[in-house]
Order: sequence, then structure tokens, then C-alpha cells
Amino acid sequence: MSLDFAANPSEEKGKRMPLKVALVGCGKIADGHVEEIQKLPDKAAVVAVCDRELLMAEQMAVRYGIPAFYDSYERMLEAVRPDVVHITTPPQSHLALTRTAVAAGCHVYVEKPLALNYADSQELVACVERAGKLLTIGYTYLFDPPALEMRRLIAEGALGDVVHVESYYGYSIDGQFGSAIRADPGHWVHALPGKLFQNNVDHVLNKLTEFLDDEEPRLEAHAWRRDRKAFGDERDRLQDELRLTIIGKRVSAYGTFSSHVKPSAHFVRVYGEKNILHADYVSRTVTLEPGATLPSAIGRLVPAFGQAAQFLRAGGRNARALARGEFQFFSGMNRLMAMFYDAIASGGPPPVPMRDILRIALWMDRIWAQIGSAR
Amino acid sequence: MKVLVTGATGFLGGPLVERLLAQGERDLRITVRPGSNRSRVAAAAARYPDARVDYVTANLTVPAEIARAVEGVGAVYHLAASLRGAAADMFLNTVVGSKHLLDAIGPRRTRTILISSFSVYGVAELGRGAPVDESTPLEPHPEKRDLYAHVKLREELLFRERAARDGLPLVILRPGVIYGPGGGAFSTRVGLNLFGLFLSLGGHNRLPLSYVDNCADAIALAGRTAPVSTEPAVYNLVDDDLPTCREYLAAYQAQVAPVRSLPVPYPVLSLGARLLERYNRWSRGQLPAIFTPYKVASTWGGNRFDNAKIKALGWRQPVPTEEGLRRAFSWLRDQAAASGAR
Repeated sequence: MSLDFAANPSEEKGKRMPLKVALVGCGKIADGHVEEIQKLPDKAAVVAVCDRELLMAEQMAVRYGIPAFYDSYERMLEAVRPDVVHITTPPQSHLALTRTAVAAGCHVYVEKPLALNYADSQELVACVERAGKLLTIGYTYLFDPPALEMRRLIAEGALGDVVHVESYYGYSIDGQFGSAIRADPGHWVHALPGKLFQNNVDHVLNKLTEFLDDEEPRLEAHAWRRDRKAFGDERDRLQDELRLTIIGKRVSAYGTFSSHVKPSAHFVRVYGEKNILHADYVSRTVTLEPGATLPSAIGRLVPAFGQAAQFLRAGGRNARALARGEFQFFSGMNRLMAMFYDAIASGGPPPVPMRDILRIALWMDRIWAQIGSAR
Repeated sequence: MKVLVTGATGFLGGPLVERLLAQGERDLRITVRPGSNRSRVAAAAARYPDARVDYVTANLTVPAEIARAVEGVGAVYHLAASLRGAAADMFLNTVVGSKHLLDAIGPRRTRTILISSFSVYGVAELGRGAPVDESTPLEPHPEKRDLYAHVKLREELLFRERAARDGLPLVILRPGVIYGPGGGAFSTRVGLNLFGLFLSLGGHNRLPLSYVDNCADAIALAGRTAPVSTEPAVYNLVDDDLPTCREYLAAYQAQVAPVRSLPVPYPVLSLGARLLERYNRWSRGQLPAIFTPYKVASTWGGNRFDNAKIKALGWRQPVPTEEGLRRAFSWLRDQAAASGAR
């Protein structure tokens, strides 16, 4: 049932053939993957999806016009021989599914978190590298427009040397993902060593690794449960607020994960020797702290207008992107996929360094060791 | 005979439990989820002290739990379904949940009553105002419809597959817009709220209402008495003396609260949907295609739904539509007042 790539006209024009992508795990995040892959028709095509529950694989195939669906991973790999496998199952199965995929000659895009713990993460990376394949992880915000703009400004020297970084990730416990966890004591998130945090804290930590070069910085974690509702089961052990202090040799960092602060903000603040930068992932704006450059009361008056001008420019850029049809919700995911597929085609390095993926896995283990779970 | 009801703690469930007891059932088992509100079921049960109503905690997505729930039952009324949420959650909770229920029933010929929906009919290509009865074909393009329609269609097909394979005695009930105290104010058939402005889309279409107690009464009657052969018995459930969508909105405004509304005539809606669909394609889904010509024709095409078949089974509408609307609006008015007071 696979598509006929041999007859693809783009090949005749000298363009490269789109990669054959198969996806395993047809849950909520899989929709985003398929939608974004389908926006890259020159680079890749989803040829099959798989879920332990055939009905779940079927509904994805029907909704997105995917030619084949399976309830057996091995059968899918055998039948469609994909170039890339996207693994969007719960993290408990990532390592085993990755092993099978690379043994079948596939590159892998694994959703975060990479695996259950550091040891499994090391094994996962090693097995991909041994097979000579490429791996990436769903660190999509690293490729969102604010992150790109932030890197451009830093490269231009706008901040000078970075002293401190603050990474904030607000989570909606009543949202689509949170309510599924709260409704079901048997949800796989409750079985993770780091529970709710483990499924989200990648988004806090992965914004820090580009500033902290340390393998194992000093790390202090505090966590607690603010939710007052008692269910009388596993759900009562779920902590929902996490604060991190990380001290590296050159750069320090704060990390915040909050389920209760409203609105659910999502930003990174980078504190340099010359300036402070605020990159906002919700409003897609990047601004610099104006500071008082003029004397006396005037110095207090002018910065607000400077800030307003920056927001106006950022809003204008976003509006122009919207008019061009380039203001996409999963913009970062799309860019990450495009870069990953390009790396596969060119044999270049994958978009997220393996060292960063493993450092994050290690830091997570350290965090869980400090916080335990709610009693 | 023990009768299982899934989804009994929902909007339709309480009235159904009441009607089943009123029509003579004396041994009910109700599936509940941790934290579900049992008060409506308990109130209905309290009126029949000689009946036995017991509760079993069961999540339909957990096969072992649902297997325990169906043990020893002679009939199953399956109401549980998810009404909104992410696609994966809706399919998991409704379609996969139904599969687990069917697996739990297995080869036993347990009489099974499925609450389906008008949304399973494939009406987009029938033309404006086409009549719809139980023989109207099912939706051929669920991927072009909204998620709820897709999920309910797949669920009904799953039950039909099992009926054909295992000889499961199956009654399929397809209600229209179920309304009443405890329910919502506006079906999408009437219109949609867009950033505080209510787009009135239904115009002069008849709104296929089914008052919640009437719907429950018809389900209990068909569930208990519909003759089932090798083919499932299928019934539309809809009341008589229906208002148009515009009349419904006007009555709501008069009896509940004013609504800032904009009437959108069907040709304008169709044109808007064509443009939106084109924009959605051009922009690669930058904004969602909430309207497409296919969805518009399916939801606002003004189909007339026929209830002759359930009447032929002996059903008479217990609560007149005028009275149903009065009760629903009175409840909505109280809700609005209570939320205003807070």
C-alpha cells in the first residue's frame, strides 16, 4: 500500500526524493507531527502510521489521508521500509521502539522525554549512533521564531557575555493534556519517575543548555503539590510546581514549571553584561530591556516608549508573517523536521546536539532524586 | 434481568434511568468514573424503592473494568461518549471504549442499545432541505466532517460490524439535538459564538430537537420493545412541533437573555466557507477551517428528520415541545441569574 516514490517526478528534475516517514503512537501529539510533515512535501511524506490499538491508527490514516495503518510495529517497518520513524508513544516505550527502528535501518525522531532515565537515554543515543543513523528529539521551541531571533541578537553581541538565564514554562492543568492526566489515575504520566514534570521539564531545561556548558552544574530543585483536590489514588501523588536553581562555572540559571500561574506564560530571559533579553514564546516577541540611558526623571520616562516601540515592531513582523501564511502554530516543529530531514539527506549533524539531549536526561535524574513525590 | 447503563451520570443518563425504572426495569447497573456526579441517577432511583440500582466503577478504556461491568447483564444501554476534546481523546474514549465494551460482551447475544446521532447521516450531497429517515445512507466522508460526527459514525459502524459477525441483537437510536434543564443553550445547528458575536446560521431550518425526557422515554421504549432481526433496528429520535432555528433564538432572547447575534443567510455562509477553505489551503492551515462547504451543507443544509418509525413502535411524545422549551429556558434563565449573582 506504500506510495510509489520511484515514479516521483521531482527525482527526474534532480531534486531529492522525499523521505518515507512512518509514525508510531497515534495520540494527541501525533496530529501535530503529521500536519507538519505534510507541509514539507518536497522533503518527506507520511506513508504509514501505527498504534497498538488499530482503531487509533485507522482514525489518523482516515483524517490525514495516510495510505497505510497498522497495529504491529514490526509489520509496518517490514512492509513500508520507512527512512524515518517518528516515535510519539509514551516515553516508557521509546528505547525499545528506537532499537527496532534503527535495526530496520531507520532514522528516528523521538518525542520528549527521550526515555525513562539517564541510563536508558544513553543506551538510546548509543544504539542510534552504533547503527550510523540520526536521532532528533521534539525540542520544537528551540526552533520557534523567538528562539531564532534571540540567537540572532546574541550573535550580534546585543547582550555581551551571558551571566544568567531564566526559563519559564507555564502549564495548563485544565488543558487538553493536563485534563487527560487528571481524569485518569492509570495515565502513563503517573508512572514516570518524574511524573508530570518529566513530561514537560524538557521545555524548561532545553532552553538552558545553549548557555550552560557544564556537564553537571550544581542543581537544586524544589517541588510541591498545589492542587487542593484529593482523588484518593495515584493522582494525589502528582506534584505540579517545580523550581530549579542551576549554577554553572560561567552562567547560572533559574527554571520554573508552574501549573497554577495564569496566564500560562512561556518565556526565556537572558541576562547579559550589556543587556537583558526577553523572548516570549506565547506572543512571539523578543525585546531588550531598555535601561536608563538618560539622566534624572527623563531616564525613567523614556524606556517605556522604547519598550512600546519594540513590541510594535515585533507585532508588525508577526502580522506580516500572518499575511504571508507563515505564522504557523507549530512553526518550530516544522523547522526542526525540515532541518532533521536535510541532515539525513546531506549526512550533516542533526539539529539538536546529542550532548545536550544527554545532559538534559542527566539533569532530570538529579531533579527526581531531590524532589520525590507528593504524599 | 440486570440492565447495564453506561454514561448514566451524563445529561441524558439520569432521565433514562428514570424512564427505564418507570417502564418496569427493576435491576440496573450503572457505570461510574471516580468523581462522577451520581445525584441525578440517585434521585431517579429513589423514586423506585423496590428497584435495585448498583454502581460499578469502570473506565471504558480499561478492558478489565468494563468486562467486570458487563458480567451477568441481560441488556446494555450504551450512552457514554466524549462530546469534545482532542481527536485522539475522543476516538479513544468513544470508539476504543466501545470496542472494549463489545469485546467484553463477546459472543454472548446480549441485547445492546447504542445511542448514536443524527450526525452519522451523509446529508451533504442530498441537497438543501432533503428529508432524512432511517434508510438515508451513512456519511461517506467522515474526514470532511467535524470530529464528533466522525467519532459517532465510526462507533456505529463498529457496533454494526459486531452485529453482523456475532449476531449481536442491536438497537441503534439516533437522537437529534437533545435539550432540556442541565443541557446547553445552542446547538451548532442554530449557530456559533465567534468572539462574543453569535452567528445565527440555522435560519429557517427546523431545529431537530429532542427534549431530554422524551429522548429517554423513546430510548427505554425502543430498548425494551424494538424487534431485532439479523439487521439492527434503527430509529430516529426527534420531537414534533419543532421551531425553526430563528424562532428558537428569538424565544431564547425573550425568555433567557439577550444575545448579540448576526444572521448569516445560507448562500453567504456557503460562499464564506468556500473562501475560508481556500484560505486554509493557501495558508497551510494557519487558521482552522471551521467552515467548509461540506460541513456547511451537512450541518446547516436544513434537513428534515423523520420520526414516523419510532411512532410506529408506539412512541408518543410525553412532553410537548412548547413545554420542553419552557422548562429548558427557565433552567437556563436561573443559571444565567446565578452566574450573574456570583
